[in-house]
Amino acid sequence: MLDFLYLNGWGAMLMVLFLFIPFLIIFVYVVYKKSTGQGSADSASSGLSTVEWVWMALVLVVFVGVNVISISYMPTVQTARAAVDEANIQQVNITAGSWFYDISTPKVINGSNRTVEVGPVRFSGKSSDTMHSFAIYSPDGDVLFTMMLMPGLKGPTSIVYTFDKPGTYTVRCLEYCGINHHNMRDQLIVVAGNN
Amino acid sequence: MASPTTIVGNIPFFGRMFAVDQSTGLEDINAWPALMIMTSFIWLAVAGLLGVVMPLVQFLDLGPLGPNLYYTALTGHGAALAFPFVFQLMVGVGLHRMGSCRGQPITGPIPALIYIFMNVGSLLLTVAILLGLKISLVVMYPLPVVGVQTGQWSMNVVILGFTGIALVLITMIILYPIQVIKMAFFGKARQELLLSPRSLQDPGMLGMLMAAFVLLIAGIPLLIVASTVLGYLYGIVPPSLVGWAAEPVVFQFVFFIFAHNLMEAMALMVISAVYATLPLYLADGTSKLYSERLARIALWILLLTSLTSFFHHFITLFPNLPAALAYHGNIMSFGTGVGSALSIFTILATIWKHGLRPAPGLMAILLGFVLYILDGASAIVTSNVAWSFQLHGTMWQSGHTMTVLVSMALMWMGVLYHHYPVITGRQIDEQLGNLFVKLCAVGCVGAAVVMLAGGAAGMPRRFADWGQGGWMGYGTLILIFGLILGIAYVVYAMSLYRSQALATASSN
Repeated sequence: MLDFLYLNGWGAMLMVLFLFIPFLIIFVYVVYKKSTGQGSADSASSGLSTVEWVWMALVLVVFVGVNVISISYMPTVQTARAAVDEANIQQVNITAGSWFYDISTPKVINGSNRTVEVGPVRFSGKSSDTMHSFAIYSPDGDVLFTMMLMPGLKGPTSIVYTFDKPGTYTVRCLEYCGINHHNMRDQLIVVAGNN
Repeated sequence: MASPTTIVGNIPFFGRMFAVDQSTGLEDINAWPALMIMTSFIWLAVAGLLGVVMPLVQFLDLGPLGPNLYYTALTGHGAALAFPFVFQLMVGVGLHRMGSCRGQPITGPIPALIYIFMNVGSLLLTVAILLGLKISLVVMYPLPVVGVQTGQWSMNVVILGFTGIALVLITMIILYPIQVIKMAFFGKARQELLLSPRSLQDPGMLGMLMAAFVLLIAGIPLLIVASTVLGYLYGIVPPSLVGWAAEPVVFQFVFFIFAHNLMEAMALMVISAVYATLPLYLADGTSKLYSERLARIALWILLLTSLTSFFHHFITLFPNLPAALAYHGNIMSFGTGVGSALSIFTILATIWKHGLRPAPGLMAILLGFVLYILDGASAIVTSNVAWSFQLHGTMWQSGHTMTVLVSMALMWMGVLYHHYPVITGRQIDEQLGNLFVKLCAVGCVGAAVVMLAGGAAGMPRRFADWGQGGWMGYGTLILIFGLILGIAYVVYAMSLYRSQALATASSN
């Protein structure tokens, strides 16, 4: 459940609905009730200061909870953890330009230089001209992660992602980069290990 | 030069909607706001047409012309919606509020310059866009220059577009804040203009003042960088002095420090306007918020947390944006949610305690507030570091931007309904006003949810080929809800066009 919530765009959508729908129900209820002839001062208003504290406590608990649980799913944290086992990380270097990716993988597998093995991969990307991004879509069409590539920086944008399934992954640019932006795409093939 | 009242009176259709009442002696707080508000609605019409072009182009097979049209519409729609529509509407209604609450006239050179710079600047930018400059609402620096190098557009249109942007920035960063500060702290109040006196500590006024300072402080660095780049393009600044400003990382950071805080400043202003307007529609006539202290705390929390939450725009730049700053942006973004939670409580507790006297203006404000909360939820979720890596650059972000602009515009349109009789001496058509609110509820919420869902499904933003990943279904729904929203705006315009003189309206 937590994997779905934090590792999938639909998990984010679920969280928005979780935050919004209770608010919407209460808001519509209060506005409807108080605008249909029952508008005089309410006898329950004396308890509002208690409700105020309960409401703020609830908001803080939800906000803190959502973020604390998310920590282990943050690519920044996962990248730091993966660095402990640096020797097993495959290195992929990317240079993005209008409108192409120059991708170099550690070894050519099955004649393709767009191939990595299942397991942790460090993606390090730079841009040679304008703003681009390097986003990897799973074979099912979900965005696994995106990296912003800004030109002129000394170091690359870089994260470690661990692939657990072989397949053909689509690469897309998600930062608008000119009139051919929508055609800036590539692919990455993930194969089982020990090739 | 013709007076603003005369200009409004001479414009067909739109002029009829905003013709200033000259019988009350309140022209000094009505004339410039009326002209600004009227012009903002002309820009809304432009933005609306361009907005419909985007999905339409995706459905028609126009060959290479399709992406060209799409990116032109994308840039023009965003620019027209954000600056000359929403910002100008906000300035118009906001200055009118400020004038009537502080007894200060909106006259002299600054209001004239605000109007001229905003509209001439937007016009120059629009012409540049039509001539080929396709850089999206956020400029995507250094794309304007790279576009010249790759033959996408000419340097002349970049200079034209940047000149327009500079004029718009001067309006937002210098002229408008100076006008607000002038009205807040200087000049003697004129009793005949003082319709609804408010102190600067009043929650209904505090946000206006905070917003002015935020725009000034957060905008100055961008103005310096953009002026240096523009000076170089004009040949005034030598190449040896432009390097620091032309660095993409410098431009991007100062741009988002301003752009992010521009949205937050607009939120501060509109929440303040809601705090001022809601009490006027309470059923028991108390005209008081549940707690002014709580309302002020909400505004202060929103102000303080929003200032540095802009880091969330750069989370996916890791490690070029250090992780600590990404976490800071994450935490501060949820901090703005705490401010919003206090606003929610204040508004609901006020309604609960004192009851509500429904009117189209108030219902538009409350609907805008509901949308603002939906948008806030989407914004804090995408500011979480884990989710940001999956959502940044998708239609989720476009949904967030569209929703925040539409929600704020809706609240201002509701506030305008409230002030309309004072400005024009006429009463809106309430039936059409109610219909506007209903249509807006369907169009706004529908469009917001579909765009967020598209983002969750991986649909890229600013992308001319929705068919590529099977996202056309979302595109169809965006078009449908967009058209409903367009109809809602036409109904709003008609509710003003068919307004009746106050005496006639009350006798009916």
